[in-house]
Amino acid sequence: MMEIKRWLHKLTFSEKSIAPLIVFRILFGIMMFFSTLRFILKGWVYDLYIEPTYFFSYLGFDWVKPFDLYGTSLLFGLLLLSTIFIALGLFYRISAIVFFICFTYIELIDKTNYLNHYYFISLIAFLLMFLPANKECSLDAYFGFTAKQKKVQAWTINILKFQMGVVYVFAGISKINYAWLFEAQPLRNWLKHQTDLPIIGELMQYEFTAYLFSWGGALFDLFIVFILINNRFRVYGYALVILFHGLTAAMFPIGVFPYVMIVSTLIFFSPNFHENIIAWIQRRIVNKSQNTSKSEIKTPVKNKRVTGALLGIYIFIQLLLPVRYLAYPGDLFWTEQGYRFSWRVMLIEKAGYAQFFIHHPENGMKKRIDNKEYLTPQQEKMMSTQPDMILQFAHHLRDEYSDTLIIEPNGAKIKIKEPKVTAEVYVSLFNKGSRLFIDPKVNLSKIDRGFHHKDWILRNEK
Amino acid sequence: MSEMVKNQSYARIRNVFFFGLVVLLSFSCRKKGCMDENATNYDADAEVADNATCTYEPFEKTQMLTNICDNYIIPAYTNFNEKNIALSNSVSGFSSNPTTDAFESLKVSWKEALLSWQQVCFLDFGPAAFVILNNQLNLHPVDTDVINNNISLGVYNLEQADNNDAKGYQALDYLLHQPGMTSEDHVTYFTTNANAMTYLTDVVENINYWSNYILSEWTGSYQESFKSNSSSESNAQGSSISNLVNGLCYHYESIIRKGKVGLPLGAFNGFSQQEMPDLVECYYHQESLPFIVESINAVNKYINGASYNTGENGLGLDDYMNYVGATQNSNSLSSVINNQIDEIIEKVGQLNDPLSNEIVVNKPAVTEAYSALQQLVPYLKVDMTSALGVMITYQDNDGD
Repeated sequence: MMEIKRWLHKLTFSEKSIAPLIVFRILFGIMMFFSTLRFILKGWVYDLYIEPTYFFSYLGFDWVKPFDLYGTSLLFGLLLLSTIFIALGLFYRISAIVFFICFTYIELIDKTNYLNHYYFISLIAFLLMFLPANKECSLDAYFGFTAKQKKVQAWTINILKFQMGVVYVFAGISKINYAWLFEAQPLRNWLKHQTDLPIIGELMQYEFTAYLFSWGGALFDLFIVFILINNRFRVYGYALVILFHGLTAAMFPIGVFPYVMIVSTLIFFSPNFHENIIAWIQRRIVNKSQNTSKSEIKTPVKNKRVTGALLGIYIFIQLLLPVRYLAYPGDLFWTEQGYRFSWRVMLIEKAGYAQFFIHHPENGMKKRIDNKEYLTPQQEKMMSTQPDMILQFAHHLRDEYSDTLIIEPNGAKIKIKEPKVTAEVYVSLFNKGSRLFIDPKVNLSKIDRGFHHKDWILRNEK
Repeated sequence: MSEMVKNQSYARIRNVFFFGLVVLLSFSCRKKGCMDENATNYDADAEVADNATCTYEPFEKTQMLTNICDNYIIPAYTNFNEKNIALSNSVSGFSSNPTTDAFESLKVSWKEALLSWQQVCFLDFGPAAFVILNNQLNLHPVDTDVINNNISLGVYNLEQADNNDAKGYQALDYLLHQPGMTSEDHVTYFTTNANAMTYLTDVVENINYWSNYILSEWTGSYQESFKSNSSSESNAQGSSISNLVNGLCYHYESIIRKGKVGLPLGAFNGFSQQEMPDLVECYYHQESLPFIVESINAVNKYINGASYNTGENGLGLDDYMNYVGATQNSNSLSSVINNQIDEIIEKVGQLNDPLSNEIVVNKPAVTEAYSALQQLVPYLKVDMTSALGVMITYQDNDGD
C-alpha cells in the first residue's frame, strides 16, 4: 500500500525537466494552426455551421447555438489566432483558454460533426490551460511576462501521457469484439475497395489481409503505450506509430487525426530528446547569451492535496466514460447508447434511411416528411443511424408542427396541437442488409430525451 | 465368471476405442476450405469453413467503369442523340409539309425520343448534373399558360430557367396532344398559327441542343476522367463510383419514384394524400406507363453492367456488390435488387394507361406499385451505397 502511495506521489510531484511539455506546446500549436486553416480553406465553416437550418445539440448544451456568418467567422478567426499564440508562447494562459473555449464551443454546436479526435483535442486543450507550458522557449518568458522554469512537477507531463494512453488502450479494448476479431468487420468490407492502392493494393483482395489488419490494429492499440514508455523499445514503438498512422492516413479519409497522433506521441520520449530539440530551436532563433540564465526556480509549492484530488477526479472520469455503455442493454454497435466519447474509431459500418410521418390529429392520415427540407445530406446520413439524433429530429418536427393550422391543397383545414410523430427507419450494420431499426408505431414526440435506455430501438435480429 | 466379465469389459473398451477412432478420423477428414462462393478458390466440397484462406479476383474498378462507359453510357447517349435528330427531322418535315401523316410521324418521333431519354435520365452526375439536364428536357407538369403566352407573344428565351416548364418533351406532350383536338385539328392549329409552328420548332431545337451537348461532353474529355477517376481513398466524394451511385440514387428516388408515381398518387400531398393526377408524365398523351417501364428496365441494365446494344452482361455494380459479398438478410444484395426491380415491373405491368385515370379509379393497385418502387430506395441508398463504400459527403470521418 505504501509502495503504491509512494509511486503515485513520485509520478505526480517529483521534479522533471520541463522540456517535453514545451515541445508539446509548440507542436500542438503548429498542428492546430494547420488543421484549423485546412478546415477553413475547405469551406467547411459555411457547410457545417452556416448552411444548416437545424443543429443537433448535445443534451444539456442546447444553449450552444451557431452565430451568424460574421460571428462564426470571428469565432474561427479567434481560434486560428490562439493557435499561433500558443505555438509562440505569447499570452499563453489566455490563448489556451480562448482556444479551449472556441474549439469546444464549435464542436458542441452539432453532433453530426462529432469525431473522436476533436474530442481528444478538446481534452488536451482543457489540460493545457492548467499546464505551465510557457515557462521556457516562449515569448512570455522572453519578454519576462512569466518567470522561467527548468523543472516542473511530473504530473504536468504524465497527465498528457495518461490521456494518450486512454485513447490507445480504450481504442484497443473496443476492438476486442466478435465482429472485429473473428469476422474482420468492418475492415473486410473497406479493404476490398482499396485494391488500387500503390504497392500494397495487391494484398487487399485476400481475406487474410483483413484479419491481419484487424488483429494488428487491435494489438497495436492495446500495447503501443506500454512500448512507448519503455526506454529500450521506444524507438521501435515510434516506428510502429508512424507505420500504423501512415497506413490509416493513406487508406481512409480521416483527415488530420493520424498526424495529430504521430506528433503527440513524441511526449513519451526522454527529457534529453526534448532538451535537444529546444536547444536546436534556441540556436536558430534566440541569441544564446540571452538564455544562459541558469536560474533554477523552484516549482511553486501549491497545495498538493488539491492537485492530487483534481487529477484523481479527471482520471476517474476518463476511465469511467468509455465503459458507461455497460449500463445499457442491447448490442452497442446497433443502439449506440454510450458510443460517443469512448475512443471507438473505425469500428462500425452503418447506413440508414429514415422516413418520418406527422399524424393527423383525428383520422389515421399521415404526412410524409422530406428530410432534405430540414437537414443537409451529412446531417441526414448521421441522423438515420443514431437513435438520439432520430429522437431530436422528431422533436424538431413536433415543434415545427405544434399549434399550427395547415390548409391542404384540397382546401381541408387541419388544426394541430401537438402532433404525433413516427418514423420508419431502416439500418444496415456491417452491410448485412437493412432492417427495421426503431419501433415504427412509437410516438417519438412523447419520448423524453435523456440518458435512460431507449426501449423503442428494435433488436438487431440476425 | 470373472474371466467372462473381464473379456466382456476388454471387448467394450476395444469397441469404445474403435468408435472413438472412427469419429476422430471422420472429423479429421472433414474437409476444410474456403466456403465463400465469390472466392476464386471456392471449395464446393469443403465442410468446415476456413475463409481466411479465401482469395478473390481483385475487382478492377476501372474495368467496370470502362465497361459501363463504353458499352452503356456512350451508346445510350448516341442513340438518344440520334432519336432527337430524327425528332428534329420530323418537325422540319411537318413544318414544310404539314399533313396529317407528317403530324402522326412527328408524334412517333417524339415518343421514341422520350423513350430514349428514359434510358439516360439517371446518369445524373457530371455534365448532366452540371446543367440539371432533367430540368432542361423533361420537367413536368408543364405550365400550359406560359406555353400559350409564349406562343401568342412570339417572344421568349427558352434558355431562361423560368421557361423550363414550358419546354422539353413535356411541352411537346401538350402541344402535340392538346385536349379535345384531333390530329386534323392539330394540323390546322399549326398551319394557321405561325407562332405555334415556330415555338414547336424552337422547343425541338432546344432539345437537340442539349442532347448534342451531353453527347459531345461524354465523347470528349469527360469519358477519360470518368474511367480513370476512381480515387484510392475508398470511393470518396468526387470519385466516379461515388458520382455514379449518388446520381443513380438521387434520380431514382426523386425523379422516378417520386416524380413519376409518388407525387401524382398523392403520397407526398400533405395529410389528405389527395391524388394529383395531372402531375403524371405525359398527361396529355394519356400514356405514362411505357416511360416508367423503360426507365426501370434501363436502370436494371445499367446496374448489371449490361451492354446497351446487345444486352450482353458485363462488369457492373452487381459484380462489384458480389465481390464485396454484400448481403441483404443473407441473400446476395445484387439478387435482392434484381428481384425488387422484377417486382416493380410486374406491379407496374398490372396498371392501365392513362395513369392519371388509374390513380383515381384503381388507387390500391397504383399504391402497390408505388410501394414496390419505394422498397428499392433503401436497397439502393442504404445497402448498395454502404456496400460499395460510397461516402455521401466529403467531411473527415472516423467511421462514425
